[in-house]
Amino acid sequence: MRLCKSLIAIFLALISNCISAQDTLWIVRGEWTHIPDSVQAIRFNSSADWSGINATLSRASDESTSLVVVNTDSLSHTWKLHVDEEEEWAIEAFDTLTFEIPALPIGTYLFGLTDEIGRVLGASGQLQVGLGVEFPLFHWNLGDWSVQRMASANMGVPVAWEEPYVPEQFTINERTYPATVDDPEALVAMNLGDTCWISIANHGFMDHVFHFHGFHVIMVSSTHHPERVGWSKDTVPIRMGEGLVVQLVANQMGMYPVHNHNLIAVTNAGFYPGGMITQIHVMP
Amino acid sequence: MNQFRVCLMICAIGGASLCSGQMAPPQLFSGMEGYTFLPDGTAIPIWGYGWVADGYITLPGPLLEYTQDEFVQLNFTNPSPESHTIHLHGLDVDQANDGVPATSFFVVTGQEATYEFTADYPGTFLYHCHVTTTLHLTMGMYGMILVNRPDMTLFEGGPSYAKNAPILFSDLAIETNVDAVQSFPFHDIRPDVFMVNGVSGNQLEQPDHIIDFEPGEPIALRLGSMAYSLMRLDFPSELNATCYMSDGRPLPEPFDVEEMDIFPGERFTVMIEPVEGWDGYIGCEFWNIPDQELDGEQSIHVRDKSLSVGEWSELIAPLGYPNPTRSSISWNGPASVSVFDVSGVLVFQGPLDQGQLHVNGWSTGMYTAIFPDGNRSRFSVIH
Repeated sequence: MRLCKSLIAIFLALISNCISAQDTLWIVRGEWTHIPDSVQAIRFNSSADWSGINATLSRASDESTSLVVVNTDSLSHTWKLHVDEEEEWAIEAFDTLTFEIPALPIGTYLFGLTDEIGRVLGASGQLQVGLGVEFPLFHWNLGDWSVQRMASANMGVPVAWEEPYVPEQFTINERTYPATVDDPEALVAMNLGDTCWISIANHGFMDHVFHFHGFHVIMVSSTHHPERVGWSKDTVPIRMGEGLVVQLVANQMGMYPVHNHNLIAVTNAGFYPGGMITQIHVMP
Repeated sequence: MNQFRVCLMICAIGGASLCSGQMAPPQLFSGMEGYTFLPDGTAIPIWGYGWVADGYITLPGPLLEYTQDEFVQLNFTNPSPESHTIHLHGLDVDQANDGVPATSFFVVTGQEATYEFTADYPGTFLYHCHVTTTLHLTMGMYGMILVNRPDMTLFEGGPSYAKNAPILFSDLAIETNVDAVQSFPFHDIRPDVFMVNGVSGNQLEQPDHIIDFEPGEPIALRLGSMAYSLMRLDFPSELNATCYMSDGRPLPEPFDVEEMDIFPGERFTVMIEPVEGWDGYIGCEFWNIPDQELDGEQSIHVRDKSLSVGEWSELIAPLGYPNPTRSSISWNGPASVSVFDVSGVLVFQGPLDQGQLHVNGWSTGMYTAIFPDGNRSRFSVIH
């Protein structure tokens, strides 16, 4: 019966995949090797094949669409799109769910598993709505990771939420610096005078704050601080669970770091430089 | 001995500047042999910046003030045993002047450098060392920069103010500062000293840390954070606080503020125009970001100037040298002095020895010297 369900799910997914590459997401468990202490993780992947990097969804603004989610994991999970409707959806092990994404205004939104194991093991991605149309788009999925907490959760041990939270790894798109600058989505490479948007989502268990060297950015959208749209900032907080979009105008050439200014987060297992650092490269 | 060598080097630099016959612009230096003092007098080692002319480093580093559109040449010398830089946080300087070693340059031991930029935008900015930032910044290598407009408006077309009140929040972990070599790893650093302009607790009741206002004259609070903590400020309604700027840019819409969060590296400019006769506090909470727990609290005293105590408000502190000192400190002018420790205990009273007060054998800590004319001066003894 379970095999039959899985086959139907894969069949449905293949059909939907023919319509649009981003109509289906797979919940996949595997070994995340992008950090030194490789650990079991769960991801939203764009195929049934394991990848340590969560997939990114893209949609036009103000249009409702559907999404098929295939759970290849042996555990049931709950999933949520973090918009105004705080509805959670259960998805059984090896089951498939068709989900309606409501019409949304331009912005970045988070989706992810909300059950304890799914959340701690990092199944969380960003939904980009109406982005990448007017300007080139980069994206940063921010994560903070306690490897010990992940290992325990993977073994089914309940998380002791009351204990101090000491994450050892801090990632942009599931990579730590210096690997972040090898990621074309995280490294902001532009030509002088060009404008780009950066879509940022904080999937972690703590707030983060990014400082841009060399530039101020304009806040385009924010799920948590819509009153800040239009602000010009060089140091941008991204609250836990927040999705935001900033606009960057490359008005001077050079190579500039962008990094978390909470200094615990620019380390790999405590050693600097690492963690949440990437760069802006502006070429002639 | 090391401090003596550093002082000699700094004096040589200063002397060379004077010999050139021109008024040399002030020059920053970096040091790794300073101290800050907790309210109980405990001395905590710091690294930091200071003016060459002063010869000592401070926590935070000196306030750097420029005028909008000024072409700035910030001269910097590093006599300390490690390389340092100055990152001009928020000023959007070019890559060469950005102060990031990997993309601009180190200032190695014994080297001088000049950072150049045009102060295009008025506002509140920061500076800090960007070499092994986790360690160097934690040890105290940071300060605030203000870019002002000559007409005392916040920005073109913005409101005017009577004076600036720079307020830089920071924190430190005593264990790290006491033993910087063994300070790694940094991902679990837990600060235990929470500071406003480098001081905490009852030190904030010292006259130079109280914000005195004249009724009807707005004050621009220049708020910035170099802390690990998330700052949460509470502005009593009597302050009539309005936020006009963030990160050196005007906000599209100013807003009245009662509570404000400031993350590490962020800045805000908040104008206050307190009601006449007000005497109260701005509450400052330091929240641990990973655990979302309140780690510490401080209070900034704001009061109507007419309520200040006369002798303190008229304080003109004579500059002692060297400060901090290991053996003696001298002042120009006074013939005698009374000295009190941080507990208010009289530790010395009598004439100065040719202008010098000998402190050999004194305990490490901060002291207050009171001169016959009522003027006071604070100094630190280190070993």
